[in-house]
Amino acid sequence: MGEREGRSWGGLGPVRQLVVPALLALELLVFASLSDSFLTGPNLANVILNSVDLALIAGGLTLVIILGGIDVSTGPALGVVAWVVGTSTVAGTPAALTVVLAIALGALLGLVNGAIVSLLNVTAIIATLGTAAMFQTALFGLWGGTDLFAPPVSRYAATDRLLGVPTVAFLVLVVYAVLWYVTRYRAFGRHVYAVGNDTEAARLSGVAVRRVSLAAYVLVGALVGLAAVVYMARVGVVQATSGTNLTLAAIAAVVVGGTSITGGRGSVVGTLFGVLFIAVLQNGVVLTGVPPLWNGVLVGMFILVAVGIDVVSERLSARKAATR
Amino acid sequence: MSSMSLRPQRLRVTNLLRERTALLLVLILVTSVVMSVISPYFLVLDNLLTMTQFGAVIGLLALGQTLVLLGGGGGIDISVGATLSLCGVLMGLVVGEGVNVWAAAGLALAAGLLLGALNGFAVTVVGIPALIATLGTLYLFGSAAQVLAGGTQVGGFDQAGFSFLGTGTVAGIPAQVLFVLLPAYALAAWVMRRSLFGRRVYEVGNNGQASRLVGSSPARTRFVLYCVSGLLAGLGAVVTNSWLLVARPGAGEGFELQSITIAVLGGTYIFGGRGRVSGTLLAVLLIVILGSGLQLAGVDPSWQGGVLGVVLVLAVVLNNAFLRGRGERR
Repeated sequence: MGEREGRSWGGLGPVRQLVVPALLALELLVFASLSDSFLTGPNLANVILNSVDLALIAGGLTLVIILGGIDVSTGPALGVVAWVVGTSTVAGTPAALTVVLAIALGALLGLVNGAIVSLLNVTAIIATLGTAAMFQTALFGLWGGTDLFAPPVSRYAATDRLLGVPTVAFLVLVVYAVLWYVTRYRAFGRHVYAVGNDTEAARLSGVAVRRVSLAAYVLVGALVGLAAVVYMARVGVVQATSGTNLTLAAIAAVVVGGTSITGGRGSVVGTLFGVLFIAVLQNGVVLTGVPPLWNGVLVGMFILVAVGIDVVSERLSARKAATR
Repeated sequence: MSSMSLRPQRLRVTNLLRERTALLLVLILVTSVVMSVISPYFLVLDNLLTMTQFGAVIGLLALGQTLVLLGGGGGIDISVGATLSLCGVLMGLVVGEGVNVWAAAGLALAAGLLLGALNGFAVTVVGIPALIATLGTLYLFGSAAQVLAGGTQVGGFDQAGFSFLGTGTVAGIPAQVLFVLLPAYALAAWVMRRSLFGRRVYEVGNNGQASRLVGSSPARTRFVLYCVSGLLAGLGAVVTNSWLLVARPGAGEGFELQSITIAVLGGTYIFGGRGRVSGTLLAVLLIVILGSGLQLAGVDPSWQGGVLGVVLVLAVVLNNAFLRGRGERR
């Protein structure tokens, strides 16, 4: 594994790491030729603005999936935090305090997931399906039948531009740079890969498996909290089902980006491509006049195609290695 | 867990299953008593029977989920709800074209089988991990249902006595329970306990490698399980349509969580090879009683999701505790 990672930008096979950038380029070409308004500054800024919350969640989720886990509670968790952010903003709490509160609450929800998974030994998919239902119900209780409208926490979280680019895009870049550095060069990051590759071996070589896993879930939670701030600034309203769509979109972004769902292999750089791919798809589909209902069909197809290519190329290279 | 030797594990599993049945029966009893204290209407026979109809559709999906989980190899079908939605909409569109409603129902079953086969193909032939493959098809089927229905509901089922299936009763028992749910479970229970195929599923679920050595193909067995899950979702679509008399493109949303919860609560091991159809049926009963009781107690249905989530996590923690408890006693 170490050798392969040395050659690529993060633990992906040589074929696989080109699949998503290639698909993304193809997608840009297709949409640019189909719609005049696609390759314009305002539209691309829109694409970025609309994908910041997704990017933040997917970045953290990448670590959990590399670890061999999964989190299907991110959407409802975001909904809960978004409600708190909205309420706090309406109450006139200082923006910085609201942001800290959001991150802390998100981390707390992540801690609940992490505790159930790593302390109670409940399989991640089951644990987070369970908490997803709990968070969803909590949001329903908080929402209480009235949509909550709130202004953005700060203009920096909303439409503010820096050098013509939405300011929040830089937030994403910073978060991804940190995640990339941590996964490649810090002990914690290496441990995440080790646990995902072979939990037993990692344990035997002294990795504190439970602590690493717990930390990964808390990290996703914190990023979900941060994403909720941006989400609230973008959407401006919390409803009973706010955030639900993001759960699957985030998983889709991670796996389309090349991270193996069985753990041990993947990178946050790939996820960033995956996020862009999905964001551009959603935007381009609307611009070219395809009814938005088609979105899910396309996303579903691309998940299957991208992961299918991954799996088949992996098997072919394994066969080649075996016959050599 | 993988380091345990085979024989004691088998002993332990039978005990676990036996205890699971007893546990579910006790839980059903306790819930019933609590509910009848809360609401005087609960123990009325009419209510008890009507209540079971809420379990028919989800019971079918939970059965499919149980079978896919039993097959092991990371098998899971997240697309059951979306499959149901798509089959239902297809049926609605065909009926709209003037096709006889029963013929359309047959078509819905065929569509379910085909969609299940698509899942099975993606998982067992292409080799995409089941979680991702069925996540992809969840998007695909769910959105296809929306696209085909144009975002609204499709109607026109009220013909040829079709509504009897969803709303009729025989001797007080809802027709969908008597004619669909119970036969499906009886057949599945028979296949899993008595037939060669059933034994193969447990073999494959317990150890795919070993069963390959014995000569049965894990891939083929699992492929069939996905087909069955799809078929049952198609059947669920027919029942849903005959109940609502319209096909809603979002009819199956949220059923994936419920079906997994019920299967796991019924004692099915998430990694395959252990569990029983009868356990799933008891779990359906428990969930139905719980849901109906909460409703009678005036709790908003939306809160039931949270209760279900807690139940799901507790069920697995319980599974673990049983396994660990036996391990320590040894």
